[in-house]
Amino acid sequence: MNYTFQFGVALAQLPELLKGAIVTFELGLLTFGGGALIGLLGAALKTFGGPVLRGIANAYVIFFTNTPGLIQIYFLYFGLPEFGIRWDNFTCVLLGLTLNAGGYLTEIMRAGFISVHKTEMEAAETIGMSLLQQIRFIIVPHIAKTIYPALANFFIVVLVMGTSIGAVVGVDELTGTAINISTENYRWIEMFVVVAGIYVVVTFIASLSLALFGRWAFRIKAKVF
Amino acid sequence: MDRIIQQLPRFFSPGNISLLLDAAGTTLALTFIGCVSGFLLAFLIVFLRQTPGIWALPLRLLGIAYVEIFRRIPFLVVTYLVLFFIQTFQSDASLFTIAVVAICIYATAYTAEIIRGGFESVARQQIEAATAMNFTRWQTLSGVIIPQSWPVILPPAVAFAVGFVKDTALVSQVGVFELTFRGKELNNGGFSGILVFGTIALIYFGISYPLSRFGRWLESRLASSRSEKPRKRLRTA
Repeated sequence: MNYTFQFGVALAQLPELLKGAIVTFELGLLTFGGGALIGLLGAALKTFGGPVLRGIANAYVIFFTNTPGLIQIYFLYFGLPEFGIRWDNFTCVLLGLTLNAGGYLTEIMRAGFISVHKTEMEAAETIGMSLLQQIRFIIVPHIAKTIYPALANFFIVVLVMGTSIGAVVGVDELTGTAINISTENYRWIEMFVVVAGIYVVVTFIASLSLALFGRWAFRIKAKVF
Repeated sequence: MDRIIQQLPRFFSPGNISLLLDAAGTTLALTFIGCVSGFLLAFLIVFLRQTPGIWALPLRLLGIAYVEIFRRIPFLVVTYLVLFFIQTFQSDASLFTIAVVAICIYATAYTAEIIRGGFESVARQQIEAATAMNFTRWQTLSGVIIPQSWPVILPPAVAFAVGFVKDTALVSQVGVFELTFRGKELNNGGFSGILVFGTIALIYFGISYPLSRFGRWLESRLASSRSEKPRKRLRTA
């Protein structure tokens, strides 16, 4: 029990760490955006596609949600070079995380697709709504109400659980930067306490703004806590 | 491609297969011990968080702070923190123990939210009735809240544990001999990455898919038993 904490050393690295935090945020946004596109496509295939397309979407979701994201990234990073496909680590992490997130987002989006009932659309037509009005007053509010909280929650999961996996193959995001610096100055505990603090602050800001946006745009009472 | 076919017999040697099965066992053990102990600790956290009275404010804040902080830190960072904290003060702790502690800390934070949601699904009037009948807090919990809320708690808690089988891949970073670690070892030993990580992915899939089906089955079973009750009540009324 003769360890002296020296947080000054760790705090001095704050600028470097914040640079890493920006990479983390970028990675999170890109992953979520790409995953959302895949999710939209997958959900459309699962809801409106024929048996073959539905089968493909199902197989994709089942496979990618039942294997670790880390293994998917390893596969891209250590496996694909054997076929002459050589991407840098950021691309591999981004692609792996996006494919992984796409599987989960397909399921979330599908719940939104189902929530719009055919009878409601028919009722809207009966009272003479145009297509734009139908989208504005029926489709968007329904889908948003069902999936917005899940989407906001999943964004935080991607931001936290997802992006830190990048550190394993050497992407200089927040965790990766902390590992790099700690191997030089040996202040592992202090560095990681500071990093944990940054993660808490960043995700708290993110979920607060998502909750406020949801309240403003879709009148959803999303929880911050 | 030729390289992969060439390596196939050597890769699926009895030694490698038993190595991987052993590693899969470690992965399962990590998840199981970590999540079950996390589940039990989460009850304590929720109990703290719902202690009434002004004197218990620090306890409530502690419960909230624990959940809010650890749900927002990546598992990898928690693992590193646990590793270096424990190794600083107890340098002979095994890596398996360290990984289990990290998983437990993480699982506690997540399942505490699940348990709290379940507890809050019990109608308020019932708790007030219990208080009126002079039940102690423990009696209310064990006699009123838990019997009604476990069908709400159990499915997401199982889903969390099943999902965590995959996240334990990250503890390979600190050198626990689990599935991902062995995979990297074999890959470094010269086996093709596609072959190794393809196999590892299939093993994870073989563990995770049946368990997630079980989770879904549990959910539908408990959900149907819950939704039947109101209908019966309607008929008698």
